[in-house]
Amino acid sequence: MPLLETENLVKRFGGVTATDDVSVSIESNERVSLIGPNGAGKSTLINLITRRLDPTEGEIRFNGESILGLKPHDVVQRGVSKSFQTASIFPQLPVIDNARIAALGAEHGAFRLNLLSRLDSYDEVDAVARETLQDVGLWAERETAAADLPYGDKRRLELGIALAAEPDLLLMDEPTAGMSPEETAATVELIENVKAERDLTFLLVEHDMEIVMNISDRIIVLDRGSVIAQGTPEEIRESERVQDAYLGGADR
Amino acid sequence: MSPRVPRDELRVLGLTALAVLAFPYLFAEAPVVSDVLNGYAGLATPILIWGIFVMGYDLLHGYTGLLSFGHAAFWGAGGMTVGALIHHAEFSFPLVAVALAVIVGILLAALIGYLSLRRGGIYFAILTLAFGQMIYYTMLGPAGQLTNGEDGLILDASSLFGVIPLDAGLPVLTPLGIIPSWLYAVTGVLTLVSVAVAYRILQSPYGLVFKAIRENEQRASFVGLNVWRYKLAAFVASGAFAGLAGGLHALQAGNASASPFYWIVSGDVVIMSILGGVGTLFGGFIGAGIYLYMDNVASSIGLIGDRWHLLLGVLFVVIVWLFPDGVWGGLRRLRSMVGSDDTTHTQTTDDGGND
Repeated sequence: MPLLETENLVKRFGGVTATDDVSVSIESNERVSLIGPNGAGKSTLINLITRRLDPTEGEIRFNGESILGLKPHDVVQRGVSKSFQTASIFPQLPVIDNARIAALGAEHGAFRLNLLSRLDSYDEVDAVARETLQDVGLWAERETAAADLPYGDKRRLELGIALAAEPDLLLMDEPTAGMSPEETAATVELIENVKAERDLTFLLVEHDMEIVMNISDRIIVLDRGSVIAQGTPEEIRESERVQDAYLGGADR
Repeated sequence: MSPRVPRDELRVLGLTALAVLAFPYLFAEAPVVSDVLNGYAGLATPILIWGIFVMGYDLLHGYTGLLSFGHAAFWGAGGMTVGALIHHAEFSFPLVAVALAVIVGILLAALIGYLSLRRGGIYFAILTLAFGQMIYYTMLGPAGQLTNGEDGLILDASSLFGVIPLDAGLPVLTPLGIIPSWLYAVTGVLTLVSVAVAYRILQSPYGLVFKAIRENEQRASFVGLNVWRYKLAAFVASGAFAGLAGGLHALQAGNASASPFYWIVSGDVVIMSILGGVGTLFGGFIGAGIYLYMDNVASSIGLIGDRWHLLLGVLFVVIVWLFPDGVWGGLRRLRSMVGSDDTTHTQTTDDGGND
């Protein structure tokens, strides 16, 4: 049974069909990248999986169960978390609290907390927050307000917030967008490390083909809302259809 | 490992107890200080009562980032609970009546919060205002039999208090000028309890979740937090404090009417909150103090008189301009500037634990 499965997923905005009959699946421990030109429906697909958008038609299953009736926070509770394309952090709070919130949310977010218990008695929350910040290399900056971090570090924190949920499936929406080459290299290294350490299953949306080719077990290519190809990095590199649609004209 | 008896809480409660004890003396009795301030003991009690109201409101507005314009409803309902019990039912346990006022505050806040939190931002604020005004007009008209409209119910002090008249002084302490009345003593103890509960809420996971919602609501929901329910929790908590304060206010004023339901009260609490400092918890007491002082003391100075609202407006602008986080925030900043070589220019929003 695949970890995540979408079945004939259709999303229309008025007359525009953003995803058209998309059926994809991700197995446990698989690293999948989602590529395609602008407007191909990548973000829409991610937003459908996180339940930010309702599909017009189709079905999404996680661990074999439909998630269409769930709210976004329930999806996180089930084990799907997402890192945003921009640094979506808690700016005025210290870095450690950013990580604590994420650890708290995934563990207890469904409102089972005691109003009068002290947070510092939740040892497991602190443990997860610490481990996460060490993984993303921000432990030394834990007392800094998140807003005061340099841009690259904010994006690492963003990834950390998604990781602190200890997800079974991590969705990453362009984790290196807008980064300098150094920051990009550091982020790729970070993803590689975390992937090895945590047996991470992820779905990555990324424009940088070098990253995609290096990091993925499998690549799914979207164009105009439809899956036009999928396969290993080698297969995708060889595919003429992909070259036409996606790399279209670049070689000519 | 965290200590079993949290030291920060002991410190906060100790300082609060000290402030509650010293305040009426400094304000109304102490040589020089009280002469300059022109304060009087009768004002000490309402300052604490409004302080509780504003502090509770700060949990919602300052910490969770939700601006409500309907909190007059809970304050009014608390007062009317106490008023109706004592006046209509001839109930002679004022403290039990105040406890029931808290419960009424909670229930009403749960209902209005449930309905208003379906929308965010300005729509939420307007919905709370609309519900608040609906309740005000209900109290004025259809429920006029219960409330006696704007004239209200007289809560006769002599029939109220059974064994100990609340407005009487305490032996030894009152002649020394330390605690002006039993009512002040009761209010002081409830202030202490309120501070303990509010402070603990902020130290609990809820405190962090509230701030998360204020900082980035969408992200909070995408880390798995059921944002809606936490917002409702903040709303209900602030409603509980408003009910408590409203109940005490009715006892103190000796009257419960429809007037405390009026939307102006919802505005007053916002003004007090901003004066004292949004998101500072203890600033609520400062804000309430400044406002009531202007209303009751400054307004009796000949030159100011009726123009106290104007003066308050000027003061408001000056404070907001100089200290964006209110008087409490200003004091805190001053202290960190004087107290240390200031390595903390990375200003993390503290939960007011630093005095």
